[in-house]
Amino acid sequence: MKHLIIGNGIAGINAARAIREMDTSAAIFMVSDETFPPYSRPMISYVLEGSEPHEKLPLFAGNIYEDLDITPVLGHRVAHLDVKKKFVHLENGTDIDFQKLLIASGADARHIRVPGAELGNIFTMRTQKDVLDHLAAISLGIKNALVLGGGLVGFKAAHALLKRGIKVTMLITSAYPLAMQVDPTAGRMILKELQARGLSVKVGVSVSSFDGETRVKKACLDSGETLDCDLVIVGKGVDPSLGFIAENDIEIDYGILVDPYLCSSVSDIYAAGDAAESMDIARQKRWINAIWPEAAIQGRIAGYNMAGRKVACPGSLGRNVMRIFGLDVMTVGLANPDGADDLEIIQAGGEKAGVYRSLVFCRDILVGAVLVNQIEQGGILRAMIENRIPVRIPKAYLMSLHFDYSKLL
Amino acid sequence: MKQVIVNPEKCVGCMQCMLACAAAHATSESLFAAVHETPKPRPRVHVGAGLFNQGFPNRCRHCDPAPCQLACLAGAIFRDAAAHTVFINPDRCINCASCAMACPYGVLRFHEEAAAPPGKTVAVKCDNCDARVARGQIPACAEVCKTGALVYDEMTHAMNEKTRQVARTMSSDAAAQGLPDTVALYNTLKQATMKAGAAIRR
Repeated sequence: MKHLIIGNGIAGINAARAIREMDTSAAIFMVSDETFPPYSRPMISYVLEGSEPHEKLPLFAGNIYEDLDITPVLGHRVAHLDVKKKFVHLENGTDIDFQKLLIASGADARHIRVPGAELGNIFTMRTQKDVLDHLAAISLGIKNALVLGGGLVGFKAAHALLKRGIKVTMLITSAYPLAMQVDPTAGRMILKELQARGLSVKVGVSVSSFDGETRVKKACLDSGETLDCDLVIVGKGVDPSLGFIAENDIEIDYGILVDPYLCSSVSDIYAAGDAAESMDIARQKRWINAIWPEAAIQGRIAGYNMAGRKVACPGSLGRNVMRIFGLDVMTVGLANPDGADDLEIIQAGGEKAGVYRSLVFCRDILVGAVLVNQIEQGGILRAMIENRIPVRIPKAYLMSLHFDYSKLL
Repeated sequence: MKQVIVNPEKCVGCMQCMLACAAAHATSESLFAAVHETPKPRPRVHVGAGLFNQGFPNRCRHCDPAPCQLACLAGAIFRDAAAHTVFINPDRCINCASCAMACPYGVLRFHEEAAAPPGKTVAVKCDNCDARVARGQIPACAEVCKTGALVYDEMTHAMNEKTRQVARTMSSDAAAQGLPDTVALYNTLKQATMKAGAAIRR
């Protein structure tokens, strides 16, 4: 059997491990444009803030390709996939055929398209190389940083730069950062915490152009205002990297549509991670939860299925946990539902208490949770959301700061 | 291979396991010296109170595959298959709490630790007392447990024991579930107190 895996992120690597676990003799080829050893992508923000060294990024000691007997093809992107003849064509002209294919190509950061966007010190934040570029720029001295977007990437960038003592201005569309991840109460707590550390936030404005000679000096906003900035990090979201798939070859919505076995509409072609669109457990509809732990699990399940062991993926679940200076924030599933017709939201605590939790129920099923501080028991709530276990005890018990596993027995 | 087996129905919530666990993970490994240590050692087994205020010693299950291990951003969590134990490498841990979000039992805590780099907050959980076991001792929680809620035993032996207990409840001479009379009485009293309290409040 010849397996081809596109992408050496955690989905691709875990798929290869699962295949090797099942089949010691199968050929495994792995294509990636990143030549750095497989690493922990979420850890790059820790490198940016300076709490962990760049050398700690690789996930495996030694050479994982050798250890798993993988043939790596690195430094090249896939240019075209031929689903009928079952081969991929790389940008450098080589072809690799396959019997089973995993598309774990991940996603690419969206760039900003305004005049001056090609100036120096305007970065995205997606790969370890991006962060090395940030660090090189920072080492030359940065006074004012500008972060575009208040999503996870924008937030992580701003948080890391603040930790380095750099003044950060953040441009966001909602009233508070992480609006997709948390509810207004938690959002305000996060905003306040970041502002106390020197973050300034501008809501509802965007950049219309950048100014500078070789490096960025100023950002002109659509409000007419100009901002001095010598470093810009663009956190405008990501798009699945699927440019190599011809239209109508594989069913694609926003990501590749997969069945519970993570197989695409074409048999023998699987997808996992940020490129795959599966059923969202909390929303009960198709969704891409482009998060690392989901990619890790999906990769493993896809690998088993490719190797012939049928394993179903129960669906994906959005979740995040962040330590934001003095605040610990965990958010799972439908944390901030809009148009909550049949949903019941229970909240307790808040800014004054220093602890906050909000739980979202759909009848007796827990579908979302936001916890600020005292997050240690959050995993139990996450498991209840993921497994859609009907809550048989008073819902207030789940809200208690003394809630633990023994309450469920 | 022996492992710590939990019999929750026998737990009276005395929390001696927590104390023994904390002391066992102190540098001095002595309760008296431990209270003077910095960082202060903390337990890795957590006794919770159930709906009827019954005790429950919540301990890492050392799951296989372990969700915390799959979720660890830093590759700090690993399994020693021979010891049937999931370990956290404090040097690699980045204190991101991804393991706490993944653990369905809520056994992870985050604090400074004698075995971790000084001043560093890390994820901490049960290590099955690997250091004690290597010396021929048994895990501290099982050693100190007086009621048999935590026992160190072969899994097959414990399963057989459980089967026998269930079988015995079918006989005319039903010594219920192998529970010591005192523990059974204590649990019944707790339940009665809770019910009476609830009735009075109503």
